[in-house]
Amino acid sequence: MSDHPSNGERNPAPDADGMSRRSFLRMSAVFGSGLAALAAGLSPLRELQNFPSLDEFMQKYYKELTPAEMEKVLKRIELEVERQYGIRPHVRDLKPIDGVEFAYCLNLTRCIGCRKCVHACVAENNQSRSPEIQYIRVLQMQNGSMDMEKAVHDYNPEKVPEKGHFYMPVQCQQCKNPPCVKVCPVHATWQEPDGITVIDYNWCIGCRYCEAACPYWARRFNFTKPTIPKDRLNPNMDYLSNRPRPQGTMEKCHFCLQRTRAGRYPACVEVCPTGTRKFGNVLDPNSEVSYILKNKRVFIQLKEELGTSPRFFYYFDV
Amino acid sequence: MKESERTSIVLTIITGAFAVLTVAFLFNIWGHTAPLPQIPLVDPAFIQTKTVRTSYAELAASKQDLSDFDCYGCHEKGKPPILRFDDKHILVVPEEHKDIVMGHGRNNRNNLCTNCHDENNLEHFQTRDGRELKFSESSQLCGSCHGPTFRDWNAGAHGRTSGHWNREMGAFTRKDCVSCHNPHSPKFPGRQPAPAPHTLHFTGKPSPSAEGEH
Amino acid sequence: MMAAGRNYCVFLRRSAGIAFVGDWRYYAWMGVLTVICLAGLNAYCRQFAHGLVVTGMCDQVSWGVYIANFTFLVGVAAAAVMMVIPVYIYDNEELHDLVIFGELLAVAAIIMCLSFVTVDLGRPDRFWHLIPGLGQLNFPASMLSWDVIVLNGYLLLNVHICGYLLYCRYRNKKPEKWFYIPFVFIAIIWAVSIHTVTAFLYVGLGGRPFWNQAIIGPRFLASAFTAGPALIILALQVIRHVTQYHITDKALLTLRGIVQVSMIINVFLLMCEVFTEFYAGGLHIASSKYLYFGLHGYHALVPWIWTAITFNLTAMVLLVLPVSRSLKWLNLTCVLCITGIWIEKGMGLVIPGFIPTPLGQIVEYSPTLNETLVCLGIWAFGLLCYTVFLRMAVPILQGQLSKANEREYLTSPH
Repeated sequence: MSDHPSNGERNPAPDADGMSRRSFLRMSAVFGSGLAALAAGLSPLRELQNFPSLDEFMQKYYKELTPAEMEKVLKRIELEVERQYGIRPHVRDLKPIDGVEFAYCLNLTRCIGCRKCVHACVAENNQSRSPEIQYIRVLQMQNGSMDMEKAVHDYNPEKVPEKGHFYMPVQCQQCKNPPCVKVCPVHATWQEPDGITVIDYNWCIGCRYCEAACPYWARRFNFTKPTIPKDRLNPNMDYLSNRPRPQGTMEKCHFCLQRTRAGRYPACVEVCPTGTRKFGNVLDPNSEVSYILKNKRVFIQLKEELGTSPRFFYYFDV
Repeated sequence: MKESERTSIVLTIITGAFAVLTVAFLFNIWGHTAPLPQIPLVDPAFIQTKTVRTSYAELAASKQDLSDFDCYGCHEKGKPPILRFDDKHILVVPEEHKDIVMGHGRNNRNNLCTNCHDENNLEHFQTRDGRELKFSESSQLCGSCHGPTFRDWNAGAHGRTSGHWNREMGAFTRKDCVSCHNPHSPKFPGRQPAPAPHTLHFTGKPSPSAEGEH
Repeated sequence: MMAAGRNYCVFLRRSAGIAFVGDWRYYAWMGVLTVICLAGLNAYCRQFAHGLVVTGMCDQVSWGVYIANFTFLVGVAAAAVMMVIPVYIYDNEELHDLVIFGELLAVAAIIMCLSFVTVDLGRPDRFWHLIPGLGQLNFPASMLSWDVIVLNGYLLLNVHICGYLLYCRYRNKKPEKWFYIPFVFIAIIWAVSIHTVTAFLYVGLGGRPFWNQAIIGPRFLASAFTAGPALIILALQVIRHVTQYHITDKALLTLRGIVQVSMIINVFLLMCEVFTEFYAGGLHIASSKYLYFGLHGYHALVPWIWTAITFNLTAMVLLVLPVSRSLKWLNLTCVLCITGIWIEKGMGLVIPGFIPTPLGQIVEYSPTLNETLVCLGIWAFGLLCYTVFLRMAVPILQGQLSKANEREYLTSPH
């Protein structure tokens, strides 16, 4: 098979059977219609919302931003949120407080499974309502067993608590040895000095390796642009925590660092009606969490055998 | 000739296929994105942080109506109220206080007003060890019997703490026992749970354990 | 220097040009592949615009057919180079040219792998975050960072080896040994590494007991060296059929030998896995139970895995029997191998790792139409690439496209 010049170059000298012009027209028809199909094929891109601006595309890694650059970034985010939701938020970048390492204690004798914590978290942290993202998942466990395979996630009785069950809420355990941090290919998630594992939403590439790695199913992915009702937007935001997340990035519980780094309790602690949840600085000997860790006796760290060293301590009241 | 005819036909078919594709793409004939599920917003009652009750101390602090606690508005001073019992020796709650349901302790233990209330001075409580407590000090009354819980409550480990974990950065409140517990019937009633989670692309099958034990 | 550059450009131009010329069967094949590619591209644009919600993935099953195909194709890419071993280590001259066909398949497979990973990303526009120096590549902690490096390195290695050998043949020059033999040996070791690194992606996750097993690495390699050469056996017969390139049956039978041994090892490793899981039992075998027998009323994958096992066992038996020396039976066996291993490595590995979730919830997964179109589009694109590569390579190897007839090409009227 001899080779011909590639298409597009006219071959004005017809060969004996006069096919050349026809073959050129044929090939042009094929290419023309092919290019039309290609252009038409790209048409769904018209529906793309929020294509990143050049600033956002070129934005440096969080740990490399100078304070001045961070100011510009925060301003940019405030403007974006205002444009989308009509509310001007206050986006800060709170730093960890010195001498603070957070711990969370959860009293399994007291949890009644009301799920108020789940929804308070959603409201505080501007999570997507559809598709639904909830950082906290409450498991209805069977008395006498920690087997999560027997747990029910979608219980909906008339009244809780139901007899024969105890309730165990699970969220990010802020592990001391976090598998998610280890596997992230771009360092988009890391652990801060106060123990919170954070995510730079503008750096995450959305590969979901961290979601596969987490033994507690604590991480969530934005499969599409999050839906946050305008009238329920929480305008007190932080760069690493509850600002509206972009499509295609990961998110998870961050101990409400926009509150906790300002000295306040996280939303889940504030709303819990039975006082099940306890939070504080484990390095402070006078905190509730230190008292609990010193005085209670039966503790559970979920999946302790994996060596993740969670900062979440479940306990029973003896 | 046959070869070139075949080539002609094939190329024509390909051109046609591309044209069909162009139309199909422009009119979005397949691959419509399904609309997002309509998930109703949660009832704001589930995310409010108010306690179910308000203690005397809170009412007094916010200067609210305290007439409910004005015992001598009805009772006579110096005349201890008479307690009536039925034939099973269970306390009968008087008509005037019919909103009180006695349920403090199982098997009708502790269903005696004077275990906590001082019949000689209705504006005070009395503890078993003879202390007189004001209404605003009700938590001490509870603690006089419920020692371990009182100890935990003092340390912040029992019951609701709100505000700031870092006391130096702001206010911190610890709720009194009666802000959550009804002193006459302290066990929490059950409540309706907030809505269950919705899974993306949910196929509608109920969760396995709901179908039965294994 | 300039002349060398110009010569190279002419070579590239001619090679590219020849890809658009062929007989009606060629046009029909390329036409069909292009149509599928375009449908896949359209589907991907929809995904890029709306996000991964257009797929069947969710937080409970966060990896699906994209990563399943990626895993399978990394194996094919690794194995494609294994044909190199008999040629260079055992100095089998018969298979010399076939090495190039194998490595071209590796290049096409790696292009498909990189495509599958890219379409799986939530933010492909942030790919530059992976580039060491520019971004923040988490090397050596993250196995994905290793994967990025080894896959791209493998691509470059094979493009270099094939490109150099083909260009030398085009110019009718004997290739300089030092410019390609070391790379060939590096490629052999690198081939094992790309698949081991991909296996370690899964093995390293302690929270997923279905994957956190040492046997996955060896199992990957065994199944890769079954499916890869099986694909090459089929590809070589297609080449034999549509071009005049002479491929001996001996070459095909040598490859059959590799497939035979690898499949036996693969089946043995399957038995090891099944015994380890089910003999002692325990809570951690929930995913295996789900895969092989169903769990709590959910059993979507059960027919798939038993089909795969049946295919693999049948193929193993056929491979051991001399009947598979006849091409008709060999081809059937290859199809059984490829399909069985594709199911086993894709659905049989990726999906059960997510079911049940670490919190015990069971959510089943099935790909959407959009997702399937993207997969088909990438497969079609890979086949398109491979066809183009062969369309260039075969005439060069046969001497029809060479520097000798360049003059004719350059002086013919344009």
